[in-house]
Amino acid sequence: MTKVQLNAVRKQFGGFVAIENIDLEIASGELVALLGPSGCGKTTTLRMIAGLERPSGGAILFDDQDVSEQPVQDRNVGMVFQRYALFPHMTVEKNVAFGLSVRGTPRAEIADRLEEMLDVVQLGQFRHRFPAQLSGGQMQRVAIARTLITKPSVLMMDEPLANLDTKLRGEMRRFIRDLQQRFGITTIFVTHDQVEAMELADRVAVIFDGHLAQYDAPDRLYRQPANLDVADFMGATNIVPAAMKADDLAETGVGAIRVAPRPGFGAGENVQVMLRSEAIDLMITQPTQGGVPGKVVARDFFGASVNYTVDCGAHRITVTEQARRLVEVDTPVWLDIDPDRVWLLAS
Amino acid sequence: MSVSSSIASRSGAQERMTARERRTRFWQMVQLVPIMAILVLLFGGALVLAILQSLGFAPWFGVNTFPDFSYFGALWGSSTFWVSLGLTLYYATVSTVIALILGILLALALVKTFPSKTFYKYLYKLPLMIPYTVGIALAVLMLSNGGMLSRLAAFFGLIDDPAQFPQILKTHYGWGIIAVYVWKQTPFITLAVYAVLLGIGRETEEAAAILGANRRTIFFRVTLPQILPGVVSSTLICFAFNVGAFEAPFILGGGFPDTLPVVAWRYFNDADYTLQLQGMATVVSIGLVAGVILFGYLAAYRRYERRMGRN
Ligand SMILES: Nc1ncnc2c1ncn2[C@@H]1O[C@H](COP(=O)(O)OP(=O)(O)OP(=O)(O)O)[C@@H](O)[C@H]1O
Ligand SMILES: [Mg+2]
Repeated sequence: MTKVQLNAVRKQFGGFVAIENIDLEIASGELVALLGPSGCGKTTTLRMIAGLERPSGGAILFDDQDVSEQPVQDRNVGMVFQRYALFPHMTVEKNVAFGLSVRGTPRAEIADRLEEMLDVVQLGQFRHRFPAQLSGGQMQRVAIARTLITKPSVLMMDEPLANLDTKLRGEMRRFIRDLQQRFGITTIFVTHDQVEAMELADRVAVIFDGHLAQYDAPDRLYRQPANLDVADFMGATNIVPAAMKADDLAETGVGAIRVAPRPGFGAGENVQVMLRSEAIDLMITQPTQGGVPGKVVARDFFGASVNYTVDCGAHRITVTEQARRLVEVDTPVWLDIDPDRVWLLAS
Repeated sequence: MSVSSSIASRSGAQERMTARERRTRFWQMVQLVPIMAILVLLFGGALVLAILQSLGFAPWFGVNTFPDFSYFGALWGSSTFWVSLGLTLYYATVSTVIALILGILLALALVKTFPSKTFYKYLYKLPLMIPYTVGIALAVLMLSNGGMLSRLAAFFGLIDDPAQFPQILKTHYGWGIIAVYVWKQTPFITLAVYAVLLGIGRETEEAAAILGANRRTIFFRVTLPQILPGVVSSTLICFAFNVGAFEAPFILGGGFPDTLPVVAWRYFNDADYTLQLQGMATVVSIGLVAGVILFGYLAAYRRYERRMGRN
């Protein structure tokens, strides 16, 4: 149970600035995802919190205590490496017990906690195997068990699911979430997969080029991204330029759209309008009021859902809906857009 | 097909083999033929000749008392042989151990980042490119009475006269010999260990540190077991070379009793050419001793690897 704070933390490698003044506060027991494209500084941030890398500036605080000067060994953190970093010359058992044995825990206690831990990660039957004799998912569970057995106050995971197949990924996500809730450990995990971040995390920190772009709960991040880059990274498809006619009316290339007012986006401003594809209703008949006319030009069927590409004149708009019905290509349609689900972004 | 896989499969040889397995085994053997031919003809042939000669078979000298164990008997019966053997093993072991410790320390330092690392990476390899003889000459220049060190010591007033400098060369402690071996072989071991260290990366060490291990524990429980293959192969080569090396103990050694290679050389160089056979017996003895030690070393390492679950 530890609160982690980063105050204006910077990291420079020679002349290259990897992390630029990041402020981040992670509440005790919270599960936070660091999300961002490759090379944005996620691993570097984790390594600084762990103590493997020394910040070039700023301070890192655990429960309001500055730990910048504290060596790795004394921080009582846990880290699951992207490539697991298991000890290849030790069995599963030895790997898992390593943390306790170097801390001089009595043998009997090690044995007890080892049993308990192997049980949690369901590795009992593999206890005498070497890492090279395990599958990716099993290795990862060893890496997690090896870390959790030391009861770290902060748990870090660097792309823990990157090397797993889709099915195993889903299982491991649930497994990690369960463990985290059961032990209540402050957890920070790195990913470049926004779906994974949203599914697992209480809050997501989006990092671009060493800058913190947004730090919010998953639904806010998805519906109300702070800027165009975040919107783009979160998979927004329909972003069109517009001019504000009134606080709640935006004039776009496809006609006027009713929007929920947002402070700072008054009449006369040039903005970008984000329309989430699943928040648009596709109508076969013209709605009584509003409705953007268009024509279906493409249909992508995914089984449970369908994506329609609708040509609305100046822009093509993507609409996602449940595959309860199928609308044929070339059908004239109207788009009904819920003003509360339209998000305004600065140009 | 690697040698280790054929060793590993030997344990299962008693189990019944299918026809296909037998055919695979046969092709493995066929593929080994060229290398085996070279090994048998070049090395095996010379070895057989040496053994024959040491057992009294040398018609080209007009000697043929084969099989005659008297040369070995005379050799092994004299106490100086055992002193020579002891000296040979002492120089070889001490210099290998020192070179190993220095080599590991150097390799560990080289994986860290520090200013002008590239320069040091070239510098440490320098002795590898300089012949042993030059190293021996350097040792004479630096370490002998009247050498650089003694003159410097005298210059700084540590001793009154260069001649008072403690005798480093030409003693049975062999510090000169050991210095030359260490000077030449530390870079070699560094190179081997450094390559292995680069291969294993820093992540397991970092993981150990996060789990609470201090530097000492990390080295002995995480790093060392992983670099052991490099350690074993490089020390094996150095030790084998040191046991058989001739120039350094000949020039820098303490004289009678000499190391075994020097003893053999003296026999070969004797005007009485029948002593050649005595020399061959010495050479074969060196081979036997080195073979037994290296085999024991490898067997111990194999046992360790088995215990680690590697095959
Ligand atoms: N030791 C180092 N020396 C120099 N530059 C480094 C070092 N470590 C990282 N960098 C640079 O810092 C930047 C951030 O690296 P980091 O490993 O944190 O990225 P990341 O967000 O984890 O990316 P990925 O998703 O690909 O793992 C990169 O541009 C990288 O090249
Ligand atoms: Mg990374």
